[in-house]
Amino acid sequence: MNMSGTLRTSLIIGSILFFVFIINMIRTKKLELKYALIWILTSLSFIIMSVFPETVFMVARILEVEVAANALFLCIIFLLLLMVFALTVAVSRQAIRTKRLVQELALLKAEFEEKNKTSKQ
Amino acid sequence: MKDNNNTESIKTLIIIPAYNESENLPKLFSALIEAEGDFDIIVINDCSRDNTEAICINHNIKVVSLPVNLGIGGAVQTGYRYALYNNYDIAIQIDGDGQHDPKFIPYLIKRIKEGNHLCIGSRFIENEGFQSSKIRRVGIKYFSWLIKLLTGTLITDPTSGYRACSREVIKLFANDYPKDYPEPETVVTVLKNKLRVSEMPVIMNAREGGKSSITSLKGIYYMIKVTIAILIASISRKTVAEED
Repeated sequence: MNMSGTLRTSLIIGSILFFVFIINMIRTKKLELKYALIWILTSLSFIIMSVFPETVFMVARILEVEVAANALFLCIIFLLLLMVFALTVAVSRQAIRTKRLVQELALLKAEFEEKNKTSKQ
Repeated sequence: MKDNNNTESIKTLIIIPAYNESENLPKLFSALIEAEGDFDIIVINDCSRDNTEAICINHNIKVVSLPVNLGIGGAVQTGYRYALYNNYDIAIQIDGDGQHDPKFIPYLIKRIKEGNHLCIGSRFIENEGFQSSKIRRVGIKYFSWLIKLLTGTLITDPTSGYRACSREVIKLFANDYPKDYPEPETVVTVLKNKLRVSEMPVIMNAREGGKSSITSLKGIYYMIKVTIAILIASISRKTVAEED
């Protein structure tokens, strides 16, 4: 494939650094493995695509997209939509859980203070 | 206002959601003390930035203070969870802003004792008192029409936050209650759960202090959100009620 050497080298280095960064985030417990899996897969596929650019052209042929870049955009946009949707689901779940926690905490605290007050008298 | 230690007596709880309502609460408390009937009061202080909590404590009214702001739905639901845990048979929701006159409480209690599961205090049966602005009345008419279309039941004031409910509905709301603008949606949920909803004429006052949660800018968002919520509620399966 006719891709300039410098571009290819920087893409390879960039994607490897990205992969190392993700792994390091998980190692230092800043990312939860459950949510990081998709990022590990994404960074691995970046490495594959930069080392073997032919894969992108192959995917384009399979999808019957004429321009390889368009196939790449299509795949990435689809992936991003999925990820954003998954995040919306996660945020909704967190909101429901936080609400219930806040409610239970407030009720417990009120009961605790009530008990404290009556025991002091 | 105090219990008369009657073992057979029905326990009633007044739930007052309050967000920065220190101007309005003292008046509401004195009106509540004057009102007939046997009931306990709980104020849900939705992380107010004013001295709402101190006012409740000074007036010797029980207050549950949320550590973070949950919005009207989350606050009211806290009241229903309190009612659930403390075995109340009837819960009455009344706004903290002075719009709702507590003198109607005994009538609401009576309606629930007669076998209704949810009784809504409606401004639009006798059309007395504060009737809201014209544009809001149009909005309310529209929700009323939509609910009639989907459930076959005419609710003249689906946006009213002055309502009483039975133990069944307390369990329902304790488990599941919308986050914001909950009133019209919950009417549909209750109707869809094959529970009986009735309305009772009440007279509401214009707000005295503070400001309404629905400003003109939010109006369009409100209409769309509540319409979708009503449609979803009407195609939802039965809500799971919380266990005793």
